[in-house]
Amino acid sequence: MAGVRSVFGLPRSTLAFGAFLALPVALFLIFFIYPIVSTVYISLHDWNGVAPTMRFVGWRNYVTLATQPRFLHALANNLSWLVFMLVCPTGLGLLLAALLDRGIRGERVFRIVFFLPFTIPAVAVAAIWRWVYEPSGGLLTTVMQLVGLGDHAQNWLGDPRIVTYSLMGAVLWWTTGFAFLVFFAGLRNIPEEFIEAARIEGATPWQVFWKVRFPLLWPSTIIVLGIFAIDSMRLFDVVWATTSGGPAYASEVLATQMYDVAFGRFRMGQASAISVYLLGIAAVIIMPYIYAMSRRVADSEAE
Amino acid sequence: MAPTLPQRRLVASYAVILVFAALFLAPLALALTTSLKSPEEITRVLSLPLSLHVQNYGVAFAEMGRSFLNSLLITAPAVVLSILIGSIAGYPLAMTRGRGGKIAYFILLSGMLVPFQIVQIPLFFMIHAIGLYDTIPGMWLVHTAYAVPFCTFFMRNFFSSVPRSMYEAARIDGCTVTGYFWRLLMPASASGLAALAIIQSRAIWNDLLFAMTLTSSDSARPATVAIAGFTSGTQVEYGPLMAATIVSTLPVMLAYLAFQKSFVRGLLGGSGK
Repeated sequence: MAGVRSVFGLPRSTLAFGAFLALPVALFLIFFIYPIVSTVYISLHDWNGVAPTMRFVGWRNYVTLATQPRFLHALANNLSWLVFMLVCPTGLGLLLAALLDRGIRGERVFRIVFFLPFTIPAVAVAAIWRWVYEPSGGLLTTVMQLVGLGDHAQNWLGDPRIVTYSLMGAVLWWTTGFAFLVFFAGLRNIPEEFIEAARIEGATPWQVFWKVRFPLLWPSTIIVLGIFAIDSMRLFDVVWATTSGGPAYASEVLATQMYDVAFGRFRMGQASAISVYLLGIAAVIIMPYIYAMSRRVADSEAE
Repeated sequence: MAPTLPQRRLVASYAVILVFAALFLAPLALALTTSLKSPEEITRVLSLPLSLHVQNYGVAFAEMGRSFLNSLLITAPAVVLSILIGSIAGYPLAMTRGRGGKIAYFILLSGMLVPFQIVQIPLFFMIHAIGLYDTIPGMWLVHTAYAVPFCTFFMRNFFSSVPRSMYEAARIDGCTVTGYFWRLLMPASASGLAALAIIQSRAIWNDLLFAMTLTSSDSARPATVAIAGFTSGTQVEYGPLMAATIVSTLPVMLAYLAFQKSFVRGLLGGSGK
């Protein structure tokens, strides 16, 4: 090859590539690795964030949390959110993409309509849905009264038993567009010949979808499920901006609880322990996703 | 493929799609009509505004202070910086076939799986220590740093789809590794860069967590924090609140509408090929 010169026994192009990686890797070390290590360290201490010395308490923060109803409730909520995110916006997004991929008139307009909510900020979702869920004159209650279901109207965000489901309704509206767009793009990428071939062999549209298109959508499915799994662990802004975790901690998730314990109550040790639990759960749940991704990268390398 | 579907199935699909389209638009329509209603009209949620009560927008701008401007000043440079850093990291990772490159890639990728809450407490003290707490450049730094995994992942996959022969031809013509990146690869990746720019605009413009923990005053606080503060009062004034909501929603929404084509193309180039 032309222009190759050795420095420290390495080809010059390798050194250039190394130089390209230096800044991103430095940022990663400073902003990911150091804070994670530091969070684990703080979690072993009793500290209010201000005092010059931290008191070492070992595993006590972790043990306290594991017996605390408030923490266990938030943990259960996170797991409900995980199941919800993997099933509901994913399923609805797939349904809408499959319906729209049938050559429907006005496809472009519908594509925009379904995707639109995904572009808006979580605080806007919160503001709009607080108004939808307003117990007396809000949109949902008004419409229910109009069609004669007024007796079934609830205090959507004020009732601890249903507040999480109400939030899920808002998040379904907010996130389905993302799943929809990824699935729609995936369906468009499937070569027409595969579908024709299945049809000629007498497959029903239902069979064509589940036996031909759905398996070929696997890359899209991995992206959607992976991102939604991560989002359900990270979930913070919609819950915080809509209910701040209330009423009476009923809608709390680990992230909002961690924020409240750290920056509302200044118990940095315990808040850090919540974070470490969150990281542990995220790692266990999301590992299969990393594995699937690494397989895909290996596959694309083999091409 | 439409003609082969029986007419009845098509009509049924169409009906389902129309119902969902109406459900998807209803909350947005509510926000828009409410933002144009006077306080007396607001409780009649289903009616259209009798006259356009644009004063709500005036109140919203007054209450939001300069937070809209802050959002712009934070988002625009942070988007450019985060795409740049993603490209700089993605380039060697797309080009090298060796083991070291793959390991570096997976370590960076693992950052995508970290819930950001975990870093929040040390980050708060770090940003304080370097004097960037409650400053707009501090937000650039944080958004750029936490964009490294996703932007690297995205740009690496995109660069991998650019034919390698282009690189080899350029090298034979005497182009340096750095020269190839700036003069050939980046211009050839316009659609990927545009798609990533849209994704990043949304992520940074919509961010609440970093903004809440790392800004406190009007001089750096973005619109998301201001709106969240707006709703925390016991008596929520829905007219001005909806006006503020609409204003905060428009920039990213318009960007998506304008660049929808390149977004989908970039998403496919970067994910499914």
